[in-house]
Amino acid sequence: MNRNNRDATDRIGYYFRKEQWLLLIVTVTGILYNVGMVAGPWFEGQMVQYLCDILGGNRQAIEMVMLAVCYVLTILFVQFMRYIKRLYVRKFANHISKSMKMTLYRNLLHRKREDLEEAGSMMTKIISDADACAEGMRKFTTEIFDTGVVMIAYLVMLLLYDWKLTLLSMLFPPIAYFLAEKLKVVVTKNVALSRESSARLNAATLERITNALTYRVYGQETNRNAAYEENLTDYEKKAVRANIWENAMQPIYRVISMLGAIVIIWFGGKNVFGTGWSLWNIAAFTTFFSCYQKLAVKSSKAAKLFNAVQKAQVSWKRIKPYLGSVEDEPDPETVFPSPLSVRNVTFAYPGQDALFTNVTFQAKPGEIVGLTGKIACGKSTLGKLLIGELPYQGEIFLGDVRFSQQGERYENGVGYLGHQPELFSGTIEENICMGKPGDIGPVLRAVCIDREVAEFPDGIHTVIGSGGVRLSGGQQARIALARTLYHRKPLMVLDDPFSAVDMETEKRIFDNLRILAKDSVVLLISHRLSLFPQMDQVLWLEDGKITAAGHGELMQENAHYRTLYEAQRKEAASDEN
Amino acid sequence: MKTESSVARIVGNTLRNHPGLSVLLLLTILLSIGFSLLPPLVLEKIVDTLTAGERILLSMAVAYFGIVAISGLLDAAKESLITAFGQKATHRIRSAMSEKLKRLPAFYFVEREPGVTASRFVNDVNTVDNLFTSGIISMAADLCKLVSILVIIFTRSTGLGLLLLAATPLLFWMTRQFQKRMLKAQMENRVAVGRTNQQIPETLNSMRTIRVLRQEPYMLERYGDTIEQSYQAQERSNFYDAVYSPIVVSVSSLLIGIVMAASAQSGAVQMFFGMSAGTAAAVIAYVSNFFGPLESIGMEIQNVQSAVAGVRRINEFLKETEQKKSPEQAREESIAVQISDMSFGYHGREQAIFHNFHFTVKEGESVILAGRTGVGKSTLVKLIAGLYQPQQGTVRVFGRAPDAIPETEKRRWFGYVEQQFRLVPGTVGDQVSLFDPQVTDAQIRQALDMVGLGETIENLPGGIRTPCTESLFSQGQFQLLAIARAVVLDPRILLLDEITANLDSQTEKMVLSALQTASQNRTVISVSHRLYNGEKNQHVRLLTL
Repeated sequence: MNRNNRDATDRIGYYFRKEQWLLLIVTVTGILYNVGMVAGPWFEGQMVQYLCDILGGNRQAIEMVMLAVCYVLTILFVQFMRYIKRLYVRKFANHISKSMKMTLYRNLLHRKREDLEEAGSMMTKIISDADACAEGMRKFTTEIFDTGVVMIAYLVMLLLYDWKLTLLSMLFPPIAYFLAEKLKVVVTKNVALSRESSARLNAATLERITNALTYRVYGQETNRNAAYEENLTDYEKKAVRANIWENAMQPIYRVISMLGAIVIIWFGGKNVFGTGWSLWNIAAFTTFFSCYQKLAVKSSKAAKLFNAVQKAQVSWKRIKPYLGSVEDEPDPETVFPSPLSVRNVTFAYPGQDALFTNVTFQAKPGEIVGLTGKIACGKSTLGKLLIGELPYQGEIFLGDVRFSQQGERYENGVGYLGHQPELFSGTIEENICMGKPGDIGPVLRAVCIDREVAEFPDGIHTVIGSGGVRLSGGQQARIALARTLYHRKPLMVLDDPFSAVDMETEKRIFDNLRILAKDSVVLLISHRLSLFPQMDQVLWLEDGKITAAGHGELMQENAHYRTLYEAQRKEAASDEN
Repeated sequence: MKTESSVARIVGNTLRNHPGLSVLLLLTILLSIGFSLLPPLVLEKIVDTLTAGERILLSMAVAYFGIVAISGLLDAAKESLITAFGQKATHRIRSAMSEKLKRLPAFYFVEREPGVTASRFVNDVNTVDNLFTSGIISMAADLCKLVSILVIIFTRSTGLGLLLLAATPLLFWMTRQFQKRMLKAQMENRVAVGRTNQQIPETLNSMRTIRVLRQEPYMLERYGDTIEQSYQAQERSNFYDAVYSPIVVSVSSLLIGIVMAASAQSGAVQMFFGMSAGTAAAVIAYVSNFFGPLESIGMEIQNVQSAVAGVRRINEFLKETEQKKSPEQAREESIAVQISDMSFGYHGREQAIFHNFHFTVKEGESVILAGRTGVGKSTLVKLIAGLYQPQQGTVRVFGRAPDAIPETEKRRWFGYVEQQFRLVPGTVGDQVSLFDPQVTDAQIRQALDMVGLGETIENLPGGIRTPCTESLFSQGQFQLLAIARAVVLDPRILLLDEITANLDSQTEKMVLSALQTASQNRTVISVSHRLYNGEKNQHVRLLTL
């Protein structure tokens, strides 16, 4: 762990180190530019002096021209350095924002299941915090040079002209600093309050829009807008307060540090007059005065720097827990064909009685096993257990591999289709392939959706909207099934895959499934029993016990199963009439 | 309230509705400009006094400080007022946008991802906020300052005044070029940011699939692609941002150099440019003050740029085609649903779903809509609920156009159970009431009892006040909640959209029995891909589409 500490993605130093070459360029140009900043006031002071001398007849005009040329060339160089520095410091922030966001997303992908709900609600805020952090780091880097280095340069210049006057006039900026330090607490508090309010507002906005149609059908749009208005009012109040503290204090810092101006004009005037601590000419007076002013402006910016860093710290604190390093697991090797063996599996939700005990069954590759039972008998839970989502006691083997009992990671070699289609806003092809290249034609045909897809304007390249919203419920379910079949695994758990299709289609898909999954064990969880006579094996889950047998056998031996099957068959028969 | 359909109009109304604030803001800006111009004039006086070999009076030093101090305080007041005004305006924009939500056709929400619409409200309006706090108002103030400085310089040195006047259009031309390019980059960036934000909730929703299929790298790659787009756009705008201000400062130095060289000459040139040492010091201060505002205009460009993109999109949103409201019919009829000669198709798709469709449901009747997927069962339910409007013909519910029914009456007319239960942020009770003040706690409890959830919920630690999360109930229980939500105000018609999808047969039985209770004395129209043949459902009519 120690070795990795330096590379830990949840340390701010990591991001600075990662961009060290950019930072080197920023450092070199930043120092050259900021030291060069004193050239401006110095040249300007000299030019005023030369003008004074020329008007007094003590200098030639050509000397002024030479001085002006030197001045312009120097400033050009300094400003070029400034351009390079600005460009690279922005590049730096852009890089950081990008790599932080990638780390955050990678982290989200690998986050523990129990933390997901919480992480999810935080995530959008966190992403914008990443931007705030990058911005804070940019400002910090910028200000190290544009405030730190340049202030030292100005200070050295001032001390050379008159150290006593410098010390006297420099009494004032520290007072401004002190005040800034005191106000920092208030600023941070108000910024945090305004951010919280903004987060609440954003959540309310998304919610209002997501559930817009529900509110419309139920006539609640006016009420919800009124509730939204309350959020708006709260945000306005807090944002104004935070902004006043943040921005409006700047000019006040400046006023305090400008108290030094009185001292400089008074004593500096004496210096020129010849009765002061040093002997000055006009050039010295204007240069000193202009340097001091620039220094005072900078010191007010320094206070701003504190606030920017403060703000970034708030964001950093929030995103730090989401920035841990995670490693992608190596691509699993799946062995076809692998038989499934479940031995003495017992499961209970925490703090509850066992949902089922000593569940034991085997299935060979090529078999389609139907799992059914009464309401809340735990059949969906058993499915989730087989993919490794829940902890259990007992043993599950797929081929030679023994599954983990902890339920902390999804097992290799298991495919799953749950109740939610879990589609994303890409094309149909992207949703099915998810990065695994290949021809999706066969699976589309298998789930009987190929013709419908062909009729879409862009065929398999049709974009299906967030969560597949542009498809009907039945289409979503079939695309999801196609995806599971496309990523063929030795064990495939299909939880109620046919709930949104009619019986005719169900039959056809089932026949295709047999061909397509001939090397896999398929566990088909369903409450509709019409296909169960064709299952290679039926698992009947009742009162926490499983009965594994063929359909015919169960019909003879299990009264409950028989009743359920007969009831459904009667229903289907009367429907057809 | 009159509808406000553009950001400019909303801002104008904000100004009008807060006259005190607006006048104060203007006054503070003007005063702060005035005072910021004075210090160099005092400096000129001081330097000239020194050159003349005279002593400086303490009053001069104090006057200099006093002016700087007042100018600083005015700046502070200006900043605060601008912020307050900006927040008032953005508040008003968001209010107008949320009002707009009410008038958008249902299809708008089906077609667009909620995250994208939300980013109009969040990101785009935030850029408008920037437009005030560090954009357009300070830009106007800076422009005023520029003009004033120019005037002062003309009184001091005509030559320099002319030089500045010549340089300004050039710099403005350059500024415009930068603006255009940055606008483009900003737009691209915003689009990419919207797309990245959308990916987060989507990833969370698909997490199980992603993990089971081991497709984390693929999702990361997709995310990386959109981040990269935003990164590239940002890089482009960074270049313009970085180069602008160094160019301006260089030009300013060049001008000072030329003026100083020129005023050292003799004869006509000297007459034209000439000045005293004190004036030279003041002029140098003014020239850097002149380019200061110009430089901050450069900075403000970026804010204005992104705001322009934002404003454009807000205006587009505010101008979206609205749902036409059918005129209200007072005459009530006893036929529950009457659809005559109705045609409907989704716009952008070639095939119409309904063609000259006729359909009648009598009061108290139960009708099941059947037919293959995609035939338009859900669409028909949405037409009856008034979410969609027919392109031709009429849909009447008890003689009235469903979309013309006032909001407060809606729940007494329709109970609509959606395909998927929509969880709202709040308590279990809120799930049923949907925050509707008309709904009492007693009614909530009654509805929950009716669907058979009463006991389960009373046993929760907070009863109906328990905060509701995804994990609190099973899928079937959420369906029951959806039914309770629909029937809580005793509607005349119950609309069920594929209610029993995704349920096992036992839960289905519970749901069906809840529905049976709910359907008593009511007109019921339900969508089903499967048919039920409950013992008591003999009067059910089947309509195959």
